Amino acid sequence: MITTHQLANGLSILIEEMPHVESVSYDLLIPGGLVCDPEGKVGAGLILGDLIGRGAGPLSSRQLSEAFDDLGIRHGEGVGSDRYAMSGSLVSDSLTRALELVSYMVREPHLAEEEIPNIQSVLLQDIDSLSDNPARRSMVELSKRYYPAPFNRPSLGDADGIRATDRATVHGLWRKLFSPRQAILSIAGKVKASEVLKTVESLFGDWSGDDVKVPQFGAMPRHEYFHIDSDSSQMQIVFASPSVRFNQQGYYAGKLAVSVLGASMFGRLFVEVREKRGLCYSVYARHGSTIDYGTVTAYVGTTPERAQESLDVLLKELHGLQGTVSEDELERARTNLKASLIMGEESPGARAGSNAQDWWLIKRVRPLSEINAEIDRVTVSSVDEFLAAYPFKPCSILTLGKYALSVPKGLTGEG
Amino acid sequence: MAIRVHKEVLPNGLTVLAESNPANVSAGIGFFVRTGARDETARESGVSHFLEHMMFKGTLTRSALDINLELGNLGAQANAFTSEENTVYYATVIPEKFKAMQELLSDMLRPALDPEEFTMEKKVILEEIALYRDRPHFYLFENAFKDYFGSHPAGNSVLGSDESISAVTRDEMKAYFDRRYSPSNIVLAASGNFSVEEFLSDARALCGEWTNFEVDRDVSRHTSKSVYKEFRRKNLSHSHAVLLAKGASAQDEERFALSVLSNILGDSSGSAMYWELVDKGLADSASFDSDERDGTGCVMVYVSTSPSKLDEVVTIARGIVSRPMDFSDADLERAKAKIVSRIVLDGELPMGRLMSLGLEWNYRRTTTPLSETIAKVRAVSRADIARALEKFPMNDWSEYRLLPE
Repeated sequence: MITTHQLANGLSILIEEMPHVESVSYDLLIPGGLVCDPEGKVGAGLILGDLIGRGAGPLSSRQLSEAFDDLGIRHGEGVGSDRYAMSGSLVSDSLTRALELVSYMVREPHLAEEEIPNIQSVLLQDIDSLSDNPARRSMVELSKRYYPAPFNRPSLGDADGIRATDRATVHGLWRKLFSPRQAILSIAGKVKASEVLKTVESLFGDWSGDDVKVPQFGAMPRHEYFHIDSDSSQMQIVFASPSVRFNQQGYYAGKLAVSVLGASMFGRLFVEVREKRGLCYSVYARHGSTIDYGTVTAYVGTTPERAQESLDVLLKELHGLQGTVSEDELERARTNLKASLIMGEESPGARAGSNAQDWWLIKRVRPLSEINAEIDRVTVSSVDEFLAAYPFKPCSILTLGKYALSVPKGLTGEG
Repeated sequence: MAIRVHKEVLPNGLTVLAESNPANVSAGIGFFVRTGARDETARESGVSHFLEHMMFKGTLTRSALDINLELGNLGAQANAFTSEENTVYYATVIPEKFKAMQELLSDMLRPALDPEEFTMEKKVILEEIALYRDRPHFYLFENAFKDYFGSHPAGNSVLGSDESISAVTRDEMKAYFDRRYSPSNIVLAASGNFSVEEFLSDARALCGEWTNFEVDRDVSRHTSKSVYKEFRRKNLSHSHAVLLAKGASAQDEERFALSVLSNILGDSSGSAMYWELVDKGLADSASFDSDERDGTGCVMVYVSTSPSKLDEVVTIARGIVSRPMDFSDADLERAKAKIVSRIVLDGELPMGRLMSLGLEWNYRRTTTPLSETIAKVRAVSRADIARALEKFPMNDWSEYRLLPE
């Protein structure tokens, strides 16, 4: 059962009681993220996200870390494109203490100036080591070019931006963004909602702040083919194309269409690119979406001499989907999506996360029955309608490797 | 809640373990084969892992495509992995699909090894080797272990090389299968929401006819050594170092003390390595682990940083492991709390329990309830750690570095 409540200061609280488990998980989402970093200081948010864990409330950096560890709380504080997120999992009798520590980090971080160079150093090393993971690097490079600013900012920040960030920048960001107005605290596990509500009220009830304005998602840049030279063993090929937004007409048809194509071992890409031709180890397609945009991404990594064939087969499968999806394929995709949703119910961490995500996107938590009904409504013809509206072209393609590939005319090039 | 583990050994030697928990909404099932890179000859290098791929490529009654589609129809989250010592095939499904999943997985363990599929999958394996060649820290780990273990098979490469994979034949793979995949060398385990009786009776029907034969493994301890080696690679922006010394095996009682010590010295946060190296911005990664293997084991320091800082970072890391008892009682209690919490959280999901059930059986031929493992961790004292360090004094380090050319 899910209890929802909003504090007077705006903080939304979602609590799901899961009596069969022993643990509890929390997720606190605060709008902001890298899109809110000042121009020229992209990566300031990453510094802030790290710094809130280095001393807060009555606790020094070390004491705060030890307070989490004393209770065995598995926790993480991170920064996404459009949000700050704090999450944790623990044995349930320590929840009050865990939330108290979170409230210190959010409301009373020390933001100590002397810690900033240490954080900068590690963040700059992270950017350096990106070249040691070509698959990840290719995705980052494509996102930079595919999305409109500032939603194209790299998740590791920008080296110059990180260097240019000082304490005043970080402090300013914290004051502006760390507000309860549109924040969400989601808790799931072995808890009693009434008790948790009281705890949250006492820890966060007098937290105050203004509305946070996250930049509007703008017009997509022109689709293009990009190539980056790299002397690596494998060629990275990544593909992105617009798709349906979250919970819009055709959303589940889109998810299932992409699953027919690229999910797991039964998807067409795995069968055609890997199983029948042995062209690669890793190939997939994914569907991602928010309220503002939807994207289909596809990936294949292969040795240079087989890269052109891999790209050709990838594109053939992507663009040959419309009108060819069988009832069997759709049914398999449907079974898989539903099974993964049921299995996701099991973990408090997954529940806290998906409840928070629903609230973030549509200000309510959808029951599983509603999602299942939506999935059941998808037919072969609704998949084709989706594919007519989103034919996976125009698209952007990026390759990273020894040489550029030939990309058919007319696929890219439209805005 | 105490959950009982049912155990049955079939007449052909296959061990079947079942831990049912009706509170779960899914069930995990897996075959754990006690075989891996360390059981290969030099000519066979990489064949355990290649064979793991071939298990998905057809049986007497199913084609590769049949298997893929059936996994899809079951809504299964299925996968497999190969390490130096284990090859594991596993899946999570909703309870209604458990019986069919057990049937499919049991059939997959009797592969056809079709020659055409073999040739095709060889290309996939060569791509996988190329993928890891682009990951420098993987390259260092593989080469460091190979050198460190020397002639001892624990250092064998899981993936093999372009040369060994290109050369290996279908018949050699079949011979390896016929030498290693005896039911007495395999455990079938399940955890989560399923019927124990049905699982056991289906196991008898599906696997009871598999032919048993003797399988052995060299479980001697490796000879410790102390060397320094550098590897160089072009276009490297980062540098890495691995330090190895003798440690506890998966059977040694000292493993509990060393795992607590690992947490104190080298956990990803809140450890000595973290505070001295990562918190100060000197390294982006610094860890200390106890790597317990079958009959042997080592402890390992890993650091990664920019090339100009590597000397300083390695010196500090060596300093930390040279004073391993330099921790407070609070540090000890905190480390134990972290480990216990991880055991509880991982044990809550069927897949977490499945992995500990199967792997524990392969290493120690026993099953331990979560509560007992937790009690053993909680009982670790300062004196236990000191005693473990007498046996494994961490004074015989071998050091391997990866640097830009």
